[in-house]
Amino acid sequence: MVRHPRPPVSGRPAVPRRPARRWSAPAPDRFPSPLRSTRLTSQLGVALGVAFAVCFLTGLLSHLIQHPPGWFRWPARPVGLYRFTQGLHVATGLATVPLLGAKLWSVYHHLFRWPPVRSVAHAVERASVGVLVAAALFEVVGGVLNVARWYAPMPFFFTAGHYRVAWLVVGALLVHVGVQLPAVRAALARPGVGSPQERLSRRGLLAGVAAAAGLITLTTVGQTVRPLSGLAVLAPRRPDVGPQGLPVNRTARRAGVDVGDPAYRLVVDGPGGRVALDLAALYALPQHTAELPIACVEGWSATGRWTGVRLRDLVALVGADPGRASVRVESLEAAGRYRASTVGSAHVGDPATLIALRLGGEPLHPDHGYPARLIAPNRPGVLQTKWVGRIVVREAR
Amino acid sequence: MRARVALVAAGALLIGYAVAGALTDPELAPAGVLVFLAGVLVGHDVVWMAGVLTVGALLARFVPRRHRPVVRAGVIGAAALTVVALPLVLGFGRPPDDPSVLPLPYGRNLAVVLLLVAAATAVACLPVELRHRRRGAGRGGAGARPRAADEGPPGRVDPP
Repeated sequence: MVRHPRPPVSGRPAVPRRPARRWSAPAPDRFPSPLRSTRLTSQLGVALGVAFAVCFLTGLLSHLIQHPPGWFRWPARPVGLYRFTQGLHVATGLATVPLLGAKLWSVYHHLFRWPPVRSVAHAVERASVGVLVAAALFEVVGGVLNVARWYAPMPFFFTAGHYRVAWLVVGALLVHVGVQLPAVRAALARPGVGSPQERLSRRGLLAGVAAAAGLITLTTVGQTVRPLSGLAVLAPRRPDVGPQGLPVNRTARRAGVDVGDPAYRLVVDGPGGRVALDLAALYALPQHTAELPIACVEGWSATGRWTGVRLRDLVALVGADPGRASVRVESLEAAGRYRASTVGSAHVGDPATLIALRLGGEPLHPDHGYPARLIAPNRPGVLQTKWVGRIVVREAR
Repeated sequence: MRARVALVAAGALLIGYAVAGALTDPELAPAGVLVFLAGVLVGHDVVWMAGVLTVGALLARFVPRRHRPVVRAGVIGAAALTVVALPLVLGFGRPPDDPSVLPLPYGRNLAVVLLLVAAATAVACLPVELRHRRRGAGRGGAGARPRAADEGPPGRVDPP
């Protein structure tokens, strides 16, 4: 993201010629820091490009898992793959904060170039840079607000906005790289630009940005990397804080679920008919235990020891083949964006996919989905449906 | 040149895809997205940058040149940590019925981390300062000429 690279300094610096102006906005040469250079901007730009690529790919993956198109298959193994990719998404996004800040600082003086527009092509190019800057800030600031669950400043549905604007960032970034490629290449090909003092300062600044990114990672990544949880003093979540030692995203009260209803039945609908199981009937079925993480889209994750009935056993109960069935799991919630989720055949057939009744040997806490919840390997937390009331089994054609 | 044209064309296509997707997404209010896009742009380019330039000017005014790289790194770290932690410190996202969301005393934690950053910055300045003083003493104290790298003019001379 080089807004307008300064021409390389060789010999005597060129004096920018500027027409007389009536207003007194700061001119680019009123920004005296000798630190700003095309080389610094290019180096920061390359690092930022890598960070954005990581965020875009991991984010796109998360989107595909939650809204799978017909061609998309997501495996049940390895168990912790989504935990890793989404943890990486959020950690990289948070570490991008100092990188984006430094990058925009390094080109800020170009905002005051005079004349602001030289030609139609120049106007289009500047507009695309404006789009890129706004979209990049949108993603990073929005992401920081999202993990802090502070939605009031964002007058749109976060998930959809974050996804659509990610495409805007990538598009504007490609345009920007296309425009600036020669300047970046030239700047990166000459290692020795500037005085020794300038080179030292530039390295110092890059080291400062890297240290800031490292410090942010160190104080937050423990929300998903358990051995570092003690250092996670600025993490929005702690993997061991919550009922039964596990964080909660949506409480039973907020979901409006009556978990104490003695008339509770888990209804399973399938090609072979319908069964309705009360809690005693569920406990009478073969019980299995699996160590599985809750991996939230917000970047935290925590492992629990879940016990319950295998989903494939329930599928077989209504006459379907677990190897070919897909399942819709519905919550007792009356409404809500995540009240139901679809479990693909890879997950249905996996022996670790459970309708869990217990967590850590105890009956589920209401906020963890009592009386029964879905827990499956390698799956976002929002798709681990809680307070399961109905399961609809379909056999693939 | 062909690669550049391809990049710009692909980028323009993706921008079109993003805009079309946002306009047709039933879950998205495009006006809200536009408001937030404009808000973060103005917030950064006007409010945030005014603060950054002020801090930069204060550093240039009050911090000796020999300490500037280290102090600058410390300030960058402190600013970035504050940006990430501020929504947690304010705590507007904490729901009343879910104590597992934002469970920590973030104001205190941020203060402690910032103090550690300040302490690390001061410690990193120490050897530079000691070297500077030793040099000053070796050259005969107050009358000694300052070292070019410490007190000299910046490498790039601005045009007149």
